[in-house]
This record gives sequence, structure tokens and C-alpha cells, in this order.
Amino acid sequence: MIKILLVEDMPDTVELVRRTLSPHGYEIVHAPDAETGLEMALEHRPDLILLDLGLPDYDGQTLAGWLRAEPTLAGMPIIAFTAWPQETARKMVESYGCNGYIQKPILKVKDFVDQVDSFLKTG
Amino acid sequence: MTDEKIQLVPTSRFTIEQLTAIYNQTRVDYLVPMPMNAKRLAAYIADYDVDSEHSLVAMQGDELLGVAMLGVRAGRAWITRLGVLPNTRRGGVGKALMNGLLENAAKLNRSFVMLEVIKNNVPAHQLFLKLGFREIGELLVLRRPPIMPPPDPVVADAQRLERMDALRLTGRDRGAMPWTNQSETLINANDVSGLHITLADDSRGWLVYQRQKFTLTRFAYKTEVGNPTTVAYAFLSHLHHQYPRLDTQLENIQVNDPHLPAFYEMGYVESFRRIEMWLGNPPPELKMKTPGELR
Repeated sequence: MIKILLVEDMPDTVELVRRTLSPHGYEIVHAPDAETGLEMALEHRPDLILLDLGLPDYDGQTLAGWLRAEPTLAGMPIIAFTAWPQETARKMVESYGCNGYIQKPILKVKDFVDQVDSFLKTG
Repeated sequence: MTDEKIQLVPTSRFTIEQLTAIYNQTRVDYLVPMPMNAKRLAAYIADYDVDSEHSLVAMQGDELLGVAMLGVRAGRAWITRLGVLPNTRRGGVGKALMNGLLENAAKLNRSFVMLEVIKNNVPAHQLFLKLGFREIGELLVLRRPPIMPPPDPVVADAQRLERMDALRLTGRDRGAMPWTNQSETLINANDVSGLHITLADDSRGWLVYQRQKFTLTRFAYKTEVGNPTTVAYAFLSHLHHQYPRLDTQLENIQVNDPHLPAFYEMGYVESFRRIEMWLGNPPPELKMKTPGELR
């Protein structure tokens, strides 16, 4: 089963992502903040990390930086999951070594699943 | 919202966990939500001299409507973390909170009040203008990711400064700077140290910063002699060479800061902008200086 680590502090969003992706065969593991996110990435070795940029302890960019600096996680796809304006999101994604971003909120379930599929294929 | 009157209650009557929950609820739909956990909010309150007796939660009966905080320092006050729950906006809660804070500032004899608003937050910006605040300038929030290759340090005499020496350099004349970058913030912060640089042509300057577990932040800096861009490039090259794996976050750098080209050259990127606004004038003891002198 493909494992996705969702680092997200908003319970409603966590529930929505779970309900959206689980029927498509994804296992969702969840971290509510950046420090837990780093621990869970090391423990679970997910196939993809879906990363909220606004987290309550350290922000998502900082976590992306830690993940990218961790040699044992090299190559793991990190996708920013954010409501930031596209230009800002794009700039942060490029700067912090994320593979791309998915815009919040999730408006169409199929589009969201397709985006996740696509990032898993291309890394 | 009902017609029941909005009550303003000091934040000191709430636990830090309750305050954190209220604050986060007001930001759930923000483009840049900046959520906090209780530890982070407690550090924010301590570092920025937030006065819990004069900061306010808005309520209607048992319903929480919003929150706003007041920082208080000698000769000045600062409004921060103003937020209203999404389902109660446009009902006068923000205005009530602002008026409450301004009354509290007046009670404390602070007629000079500062704040920052995220650029393009039109409703908040309009409210502040209506309350008499005026625009002072634009501020940048900058980041430098740790994935960038560490720079080669510029050839220079670089001296590391321990906390007391670093704080001595920043002095106490930064009272008209954005609140987050004032001397008191550095004095309140943990893990502050610095770097003094002298280049071969005798240009020189210093950088004071806070080093946290994963981040470098809260920069104060000054060019004593020479070109600010050259001096800044030199101290940044030494800093990032020393801490190549730390994320760097800088708040509220003035857009006309002459050191800025060095930051961009060193790989800093703009995250977003704020507008600085003032009500009243700084008292004479908060000596005004140019941005170049003040950094």
C-alpha cells in the first residue's frame, strides 16, 4: 500500500484528505506539527509527504529544509499543501526543495487524487 | 452574532492553551495563517513584551469572538495578533478590540502606537486607516532555505560576540524600528550572539542574531564603515558558512534598507510583505535615525 505522510494541523483538512485518498488505496499517516512530522518521516519512510506550510511549532518550509538535509530521506517527494497565492507557493516550493505544490482548498476530489498520483509517478 | 453587547476581557483571564486556541481559530482561513502552539505563543508574549492585563479577548455571552494583543515598552505600544473568528466578522468585533486596545494604551500613557498589517489584507488595513493610523513604509519577510550550498566566507577578520557583547552593540536606540526588531526583543530572546567583521579595506560592521534549534532569526546589524552591501555580504557569508543547515527567517526588514542587495545575493527570498503603520508620533527619546543607521 502506498503510504502518504500528511503534515497538517487542521483536523478538518486531515479528515478530508483521509476520506479522499483512502478509497484509492493510499494509507495516510498524520503528523500535526513539524517536529512530529520529522520523527514520522524517519519512522515511516512514506512514499510521499504532503506538507502544510503553516504549522504551529515550526512552519512547513523549515520542515522541508530539515527533510531535505536528512541524507536517509534523499529523493522522497515532498509536496507543499497550501492556500498561499500561487506565485508565493511556487517561490517557496522551489527555494525549499519541494517537488511541487497542491493548492488548498480541495475543490474537486478527482483533481486532488490525480495530482497526488502524478507526483507519486514523477517524484 | 446576536445583539448582545460585545464584552472585552483581559487575556490574563485565559490560560495560554485557551488563548492559543482562540488565536488559531481566528486565522483558520488566512492566506498566511501562522498558527501557533502554546509554547510558541508564550515565547511570543515574552519576547515582545505583550501585556496580558491590557490585551483583550472579545466575547458575547459565552461565545468567543476574537482576540488582540498589546505590547508595551517605554514610550510606545504595539498592536498585534488581532483576529476575529470567521463567522463573526463584519460585526464590529475588530473595531471594538482595536478601540479597547487604544483605550488601554492611553491609560498607560502610550500615545505612540505601532502595528503591521499583511499587505493586501484590505479589511484590516482599512480599519486601521479609519482609526487614524498612517502608513510608514513596507516591510519584507525574508527566508533563506538551508538547502542552499554554504557560501565561502569572505576574507575578513571575523570575531564572534557572546550575548552581552552582542547586546551592547545593538544598544538601546532602536525604539522606532519595527517592534519585532527593537533592542528589547533581542534582550528578551534566548540564544543571542553576534559577529563583528572587519574587511581588508577597513570597512566593518556587525550582526547580532538569535540561533534556535533549527533556525536563525531576529537579525540586528549595522555597517560602521564602508558600503553596507559589501559589509552585509561579508557577515552573512560567515554566518551561513558557520550554520549551513539552519533555516533563516527575517521579519520586517525595511524595503529601503541599504543592506538588502547582500541578502538577495546570499539566496534570501521574499516570503511576503507587511505595511508598517503608526498612530501618533514617537516621543523624542525614541531617537529617529535613517534605516541605514538603524539596522
